[in-house]
Amino acid sequence: MLAKRIQPMAFQARRLYVELMFQVMGRALQAISEVDASARREARGLPEGFLFEMMVMPDGSRLIVEHVGDGRFHYHGNSAPRPVDLSIRFKHIAHAFLVMSFQEKTSVAFANDRMLVDGDIGYAVRMTRILNRLESFILPRVVAERAVKEYPSNLRLPEKLLSAARIYLKVASNFIETVRA
Amino acid sequence: MTNQYYEFFCPVKVIAGKAALEHIPYELTGLGAGRPMIVTDKGVRAAGLLDPVIAACEESGLEIISIYDDVPPDSSTGVVKDIAGIYRREKCDSLIAVGGGSAIDTAKAVNVLVSEGGDNIAEYSGAGTIKHPLKPFLVVPTTAGTGSEVTSVAVITDTAKSVKLPFSSSFLLPNAAVIDPRMTLTLPPHITAATAMDAMTHATEAFTCMAKNPLSDAYATAAIKKISTSLLEVMDNPKDSDNRLELAQASTMAGIAFSNSMVGLVHALGHATGAICHLPHGMCMSLYLPYVLEYNLETIRAPLGELLLYLEGPEVYAATPASRRAEASISAIRKLRDELFKRCRLPRTLKETGSVEEHQLDTIAEMAMDDGSVMFNPKEVTLEDARAVLRRAWA
Repeated sequence: MLAKRIQPMAFQARRLYVELMFQVMGRALQAISEVDASARREARGLPEGFLFEMMVMPDGSRLIVEHVGDGRFHYHGNSAPRPVDLSIRFKHIAHAFLVMSFQEKTSVAFANDRMLVDGDIGYAVRMTRILNRLESFILPRVVAERAVKEYPSNLRLPEKLLSAARIYLKVASNFIETVRA
Repeated sequence: MTNQYYEFFCPVKVIAGKAALEHIPYELTGLGAGRPMIVTDKGVRAAGLLDPVIAACEESGLEIISIYDDVPPDSSTGVVKDIAGIYRREKCDSLIAVGGGSAIDTAKAVNVLVSEGGDNIAEYSGAGTIKHPLKPFLVVPTTAGTGSEVTSVAVITDTAKSVKLPFSSSFLLPNAAVIDPRMTLTLPPHITAATAMDAMTHATEAFTCMAKNPLSDAYATAAIKKISTSLLEVMDNPKDSDNRLELAQASTMAGIAFSNSMVGLVHALGHATGAICHLPHGMCMSLYLPYVLEYNLETIRAPLGELLLYLEGPEVYAATPASRRAEASISAIRKLRDELFKRCRLPRTLKETGSVEEHQLDTIAEMAMDDGSVMFNPKEVTLEDARAVLRRAWA
């Protein structure tokens, strides 16, 4: 009985958590493209104006970022200015929650068919590498190891802390700007 | 509770064995079709492989309405459009693909156009664009390797844009795969070897990559056992129809396995090498397989060790300490490649192919990093890792 009463609240909390994580990830993608040369190098392989979407099917949370050139991303929030070039879609909010709460690695989620890729698979592989790099930076190592296939062995603590601080600062600034606007 | 989760899907009816071709009329009639079109290539026709297919149909009063026998090795959007035009003009109602990967992929694409409408197959590229079941479609493989008869993907070249268009939908799967040993009896030794090693790679990667699951494991191990047992027998006695059938079934089983569990770095490197150096896919698979297994070794030690049972049999498996089985599996694959090299000069290194220049390795590595298969490799692959594997595979 109690479980039945709690369930809607738990579902709502899960939705809000995924929504929040999408907002953080979108902003953090923009931030990492400003602070990390490796991420920029990867992103340069994407066409200029390339729109990337990650969303929860059928019409749930979404994040949209654009490659604005020279490896830099711009976060568009949850609406795209034009049809997206690449969409990674979670089949269900529960699957998105597994990934966003680091219970399932992104690569495992792909292998488990939790997500659909609509668009060029090569670009999807590239975006996954950028997401992995982002997670390696912004998450504590013990959590990042649950999120990425392999924690980069060459990522030293000072580089990680410095980059994470800069990314979080940019994410926070972006949040504040959004609220002010 | 474990987080394990998997999906497995294969609705293709497999019709295999002696006189399997003679089931085609019954199958088509059962699907409500009576005006089939055959899609094949000139090599298949010249080898006389169409004759038993046509005879089997005519004997049952089923007329083949049209035969398109000009599918090129790398099929294009233009070819697909032309075949769809003939299909419509002749008022055909079903398709039979007779051939290897290219003929089968072409027929899959033609089926999309004649079922969904339009002339531009590029409009249907990607995943999830095909929404309805397609026309009745049978596949008769003439090589034992690609497994295309049980995969839900096709690749067609867009000649105007010089890009390869991928198509992915469960609706692309044929209604039935007809595996008849007559279809592979005349395969030349080097193609027999390369295609069988393609199937061996499908099964090995299916068993060791990230999306492995209990059902694909069952198909993969059975396929590996059949190839290990039958390949050298066929190489020594090409007219051995029993072992030919074993290889053909192994190819289909490996196809079912990898289409449900995906493949990894061997395929990523192989696709890139094929695109840059124009080497046959099966040859690339055979070439890279042991090097990639060595690269992945510590991540896949347990499943790779298990494969020794299917590669070498129970005696060798039992006599090998558990801690050495993974290495012994790689040795077994190397030994098989050495035997194939002796019999048909199937290359074991990039240098032995004579078609790859050392300066191309970096380009191959870069292209491989953008291949979808890399995502399912059990170990994270960096550009430097890919280069290192290529250097080991060089000579």
